Amino acid sequence: MTVDEDTSKELLWEMLRIQEFEDEIKSRFQAGDLPGFVHLDRGHEGNHAGMGLAMGDDDWLAVGGARLVGQYVAKGVPLGEIMAELYGKSTGSNKGYGGQMHVSNVERKLYGHAATIGSGQNPAVGLALAEDVKGTDNVAVTTIGDGGTSRGSFHTALVFAAYWNLPVVFVIENNQWAISTPSSDLAPDHLSDYGIPHKMHNESIDGSDVEAVYESVSGAIERARNGDGPSVIECNVVRLGPHFEGDKESYRDPEELEVAKEEKDPVKNHRERLLESGVVTEQEIEDRLETIREEVEESVDFAKNSDDPKPEDAYKNVYRLPLYGQEE
Amino acid sequence: MTREITYIEAIAEAISEEMERDEDVILFGEDVQEFGGNFGETAGLWETHGRDRVRNTPLSEIGIAGMALGAAVGGIRPVAELQFADFAATAGDEMFNQIPKQPYVSGGDLKAPLTIFAPSGAGVGAGAQHSQSVHSWIGNVPGWVVVTATTPYDAKGLFKSAIRDDNPVFFLPHKMLTEAKGEVPEEEYTLPLGEAAVEQEGDDVTVVATQLMFHRAREAAADLDVSVELVSPRTFAPLDTDTIAESVEKTGRLVVVDETVERYGTQGHIANEIVENNFFSLDAPPKTIGVKDVPIPVSPVLEQEVLPSADRIKAGIESVF
Ligand SMILES: Cc1ncc(C[n+]2csc(CCOP(=O)(O)OP(=O)(O)O)c2C)c(N)n1
Repeated sequence: MTVDEDTSKELLWEMLRIQEFEDEIKSRFQAGDLPGFVHLDRGHEGNHAGMGLAMGDDDWLAVGGARLVGQYVAKGVPLGEIMAELYGKSTGSNKGYGGQMHVSNVERKLYGHAATIGSGQNPAVGLALAEDVKGTDNVAVTTIGDGGTSRGSFHTALVFAAYWNLPVVFVIENNQWAISTPSSDLAPDHLSDYGIPHKMHNESIDGSDVEAVYESVSGAIERARNGDGPSVIECNVVRLGPHFEGDKESYRDPEELEVAKEEKDPVKNHRERLLESGVVTEQEIEDRLETIREEVEESVDFAKNSDDPKPEDAYKNVYRLPLYGQEE
Repeated sequence: MTREITYIEAIAEAISEEMERDEDVILFGEDVQEFGGNFGETAGLWETHGRDRVRNTPLSEIGIAGMALGAAVGGIRPVAELQFADFAATAGDEMFNQIPKQPYVSGGDLKAPLTIFAPSGAGVGAGAQHSQSVHSWIGNVPGWVVVTATTPYDAKGLFKSAIRDDNPVFFLPHKMLTEAKGEVPEEEYTLPLGEAAVEQEGDDVTVVATQLMFHRAREAAADLDVSVELVSPRTFAPLDTDTIAESVEKTGRLVVVDETVERYGTQGHIANEIVENNFFSLDAPPKTIGVKDVPIPVSPVLEQEVLPSADRIKAGIESVF
């Protein structure tokens, strides 16, 4: 499969959208507007856009790793709903109960994130089971970082997915670091090798090449839809920013990072490639950026002008009441 | 019309009827097909409902519990078994962090209508890692509905409701009761979750107990001259404190017996609810009785030592007069 020009462009637009949105999140965080901590995606945009475009609206995304926002964007959650959730507002996707680490949207089949890294993969297998039982051809895509692959829960999910040949795509975003722990110290040559003992399709690709991601994930989804079972894809990327905003990154070699920024920036690379091949023009990009910036600005206005949840709402949603058999 | 069946038969019937009623109900767990579960709780179900709906899993509680969560969010109603309640700990993150919290953090958007059931309790000499009562662990995390069964009637009616409920339900049958017989209606019935039952009326003291402890409390009560009102909470979380408070209002005295350990156990929570909210209905300080604060030993002599006996319950009831 090769990527046609329209898709190529779509991929660029989506990456730019993620990047612009996240730049704004960064400013909002620095301004002290957002509670908690924020993990941003610089370097992962190709992964998120590629994956997002490869998926159908009715496929589940169970978000993992720690680079989250770009995935929510790629699954189609409106920027305003995400921003409002980051602000903890009542109009957020989760009405302020979830925040940056838990954006979910059942209608859009975004399962959301297990903030205990690596606990989202078994639920993803369960989502695939539900689709299987219902006889649809929908699949579940689940992401995880290199760090998360060390958890037993991740390996269990591979066992279960293989056991029932379920339609799951495990995407490992290997950005070389689990906070300060390098993935190069892990024993496997490729983290996708974890699929080998389960006789699962596995491949290791350049995740900073958005088209490569789109193609691989599309292929895996296609296999899953056709009943050919789960896949593991390792996407090798570079984390071009800190683990979270405020991380001093004392463990990193600044020179290496500078080289990586030159060579492994998925947005920059794809943009240059499309400009060189004449698929887009600078003007087109400028126009598009203008539209995106408006959308981003609107999302901030929406979040800022939204109401906080009412304090008493903290007690809602713990249980669906009445419990079965209770009088209303 | 009623007939006598065992507690374990009641459970198998509940699952089977719900699978028959609703094709979204799927059962999975370790050895639930031909083997039929450690106590016979899933015997024959695969023959009736097929291997697609009664599924054996590989040995991993993380997989079972995590997958149940996803499957429930995905729109089916999984009923998943852990072979022993103790193993809730081997799926710790799923049981403590994921299942009870995902519906809440989604702002109520996401629904997780799953049932996890797991035999609990001591008395069969199964040792420290197969004998615990864990409803205080799980009841400690808001989001779980925690249900136990004391009689075959309870087991069937409550299990059916657990499966139909839209919340995650942790359902705890007791190992020592599997062969206990009791009357169960021929007709279809369910029992409400979140509601305690006054099982025996009395005037002098309220004794709150479930599972095996309920039966021991009944035995103790029969041996005493005082009139004991026996209340089974049935659901530990959320807890029906109203029914217990009403009973204490009438009797003026409270004894809580449960098989969780005394330190931070359910007994203390129940007593506290009454002390804090209904202090002036009490004529004496409440008494709490549970498993002594040790792991469950194997030797029958040691095991029975740490479990509340009918004698200890009797002494506990006497102590509030
Ligand atoms: C189970 C668990 N352990 C530790 C953490 C703390 N933590 C959050 S992100 C992170 C690193 C994750 O690294 P990786 O999986 O490679 O994802 P990345 O941050 O690189 O995208 C750690 C250790 C956590 N959230 N959950």
